Formats: sequence, C-alpha cells, structure tokens
Amino acid sequence: MDRRDILAERPVEKGRGFMPGVSVAPARVLFTAGLTGRNPDGSLVPGGMAPQTRRAFERLEGVLAHAGAKFDDAVKQLVYVTDLDAYNTGGRAERAKFFGTARPASTGLVVRRLADPAMLVEVELVVDLAGSSQGKPLLEKFNAESHPGDFYQGVIVNGGRLLYLAGQIANNPDGSIAGVGDWRRQAEKVYENIGHVLRAAGATPASAVKETTWVLSIDSWRQHGAAARRAFYQGDYPASTLVEIPGLAQPEFLVEIEVIAAVA
Amino acid sequence: MPFSTIATPEARPVANYKMATRMEGGRLVYVSGQVAWDASGNIVGKGDVGAQARQTFRNLRQVLQAAGGDLGSLMKMTTYITRIEDRPAVAEARGEVFAGEVPASTLIVVKSLFHPDFLVEIEGVAVV
Repeated sequence: MDRRDILAERPVEKGRGFMPGVSVAPARVLFTAGLTGRNPDGSLVPGGMAPQTRRAFERLEGVLAHAGAKFDDAVKQLVYVTDLDAYNTGGRAERAKFFGTARPASTGLVVRRLADPAMLVEVELVVDLAGSSQGKPLLEKFNAESHPGDFYQGVIVNGGRLLYLAGQIANNPDGSIAGVGDWRRQAEKVYENIGHVLRAAGATPASAVKETTWVLSIDSWRQHGAAARRAFYQGDYPASTLVEIPGLAQPEFLVEIEVIAAVA
Repeated sequence: MPFSTIATPEARPVANYKMATRMEGGRLVYVSGQVAWDASGNIVGKGDVGAQARQTFRNLRQVLQAAGGDLGSLMKMTTYITRIEDRPAVAEARGEVFAGEVPASTLIVVKSLFHPDFLVEIEGVAVV
C-alpha cells in the first residue's frame, strides 16, 4: 500500500478521472484481465456502449471484491474502445459511477476490434492490495465468475519481483523475421521468444501474470495462433487481453505479445 | 538500480531496447499515457508528430521526476502512434532523450488516441 499520487493537483489535471502517475510500495498487486460487456455464457449484453461499459465495470467490481479490493485501490487502468464518440457520450458516465472520486493512472486507446466485433469497450486494471504477502503463494490466479475463455480474470502477485517483458515479436536472434506472412509460424516464434526471456529471468510460462496480445487480425489469430498459446501455457493461463490494431512496429509483424510475470 | 535488465542470446531485441526488466526493490510507479499537452492543457505540435513526441517525453519525465525518478527509472514503456509512417520521428525524439539503452518497450499503431489531434501517447512503468 502506501500509495502516493503524482502531480494530481496540476491545473490541467483538475476535474479529470485520472492522474498523471501513482506510486506504491507493492506488497500484493492484482492484475485483471481486460473485461468486457459479456454475460457468463459469453454473449454480449444488448444495448451498446452504456450497458457494455456498465457490465464491464460490474465484472471488474466482482474481480476486485474477490481480491478484497475496491476501485479506490486501482493504480492503473487501460480502457480500450472501438468507438470514441460512443464512449464519450455513453460509456464515460458509466465508468464514473463505479470510480467515484478515485483516480488511477490511466491510458485510453481507440482500437480496431476487440474479441467480438460488436464489443465496444474493454477495461483492465492494476490494483494495489492491502495485507501482507507472507504465507501466501506467489501467484493466486482466479475467476470471479465462470466464463468460457482461456484466461484468468485476475492474478494476484504476493511479494516477489515483477518482470516486464518488451513486446515480443517473431524475430530470430540474427534480427530476421520468422514466418513472414505466416500466422502459425509467427505465433510459435513469439511464444518461443517469450519462453527464452522468461527462462533468462528465472521464470516459466506459469509465472506469467498478465498478457496483452496485439494482432492485425483477431480472426487469423484465433484460427492459426491460438494453438501455440495453448501449447505454451498448458492450461496455466495469465490474465489476458486480446486487441486488434491497424499496425505494429514493422509491416511484417502480424502479432506482438506483452507479458508481465513475477518471480520469487 | 532497483531493477535489473534481462538479456539472452536466444531472443534479442530488434532495435535499441531492453528485452525485459525485473524489479528488485523500491517503489513501483505507474505513469498515465502521456500526450503532447502543455501545463494549460493545450496541444503542442498539432499535426507535427516530432514536436508532439518531444513534448510527450517532457511530460513523461516531469511525472517521473515528481515520483522521485527520471527516464532512467523506467522498466517498461509503451508507445502508441496513429500512423506507422510517424515511427521514425518518434524514434528520433526518443533517441534525443535516452542517452543509452531504452527500457523494455512496445510500439503499437492504434486507430486513434482519445483526442483526434493526438498523434502519439506514451505510458510507462518505473521503479524509484
């Protein structure tokens, strides 16, 4: 805990729902998956942006409650939307109802597509938890409600050391790109690289806490990339977010995956 | 340094950045996505991604300094741009502010940022 808000009182920050920075002395940290307006059976709530935003935050509230936390404990939020106008007119006010006066550090992005083409908003949080990490397992992976996806809705890191990987792409050690135009090969290579980096840091695939998968096509990723992901995690998934965007750093890259992990 | 750098010959970065960083102590700092606005909230460098990137790095540095660190405290940085052709201008600005190796890094081209005039946004995780 011991949270400090950074530059919260600058004139330009007044009245905003977030602040420039937050620092904590972390003992226990919760990473949530990107949560959306889905029902437990995987269907989207009807009615567009406002109901989807409300549902996403209800689900986040459930994940927070499972970890003994509230929205005031959030230190970072990332909001992905596919329609900024709809978020400004329909989503923003719904978010405010849940956050109240709490102000995390924040990033907002307009992306091309989320998991379902009708999905308009997805939100993920990093949360500073109260209590001591002593006597607890390094990672607690959990779901607050049932869902059909290959991910956990929340992962708590108890003590340990956080590990931040650069976004991993399908490059060979000599700098050449593996699998140009080949989704399956790129997926395999990206996870191979993630495995190498985790190992170098004393971690394993099971050490992964949060994963963000950026792809140029969610349909192609599901068809050709998901098998490599399943083989990598062997059921021991992190909290995760899948996002379709128009481009990555080089035109040959089809997928880039960011991983946050933790080691003792 | 309250974090260490992870490197392996089996998986190397494709540019000047760290493959991974591991926190070893200290305080964790989450910095909001920074954009090119000035202290009054006006956009600096409308239509000029290089000017926006420089202002964005100034703002990022200001937040990190207020948290007791600096750009060298960053474990991870994520750069969002809206046009792939803006990448060289952002890389040039980045090269001006980082003396040595840059943090673990990701660059993503998004559809847009939260205001149509913003061309670049950078968020970071640091340890101080």
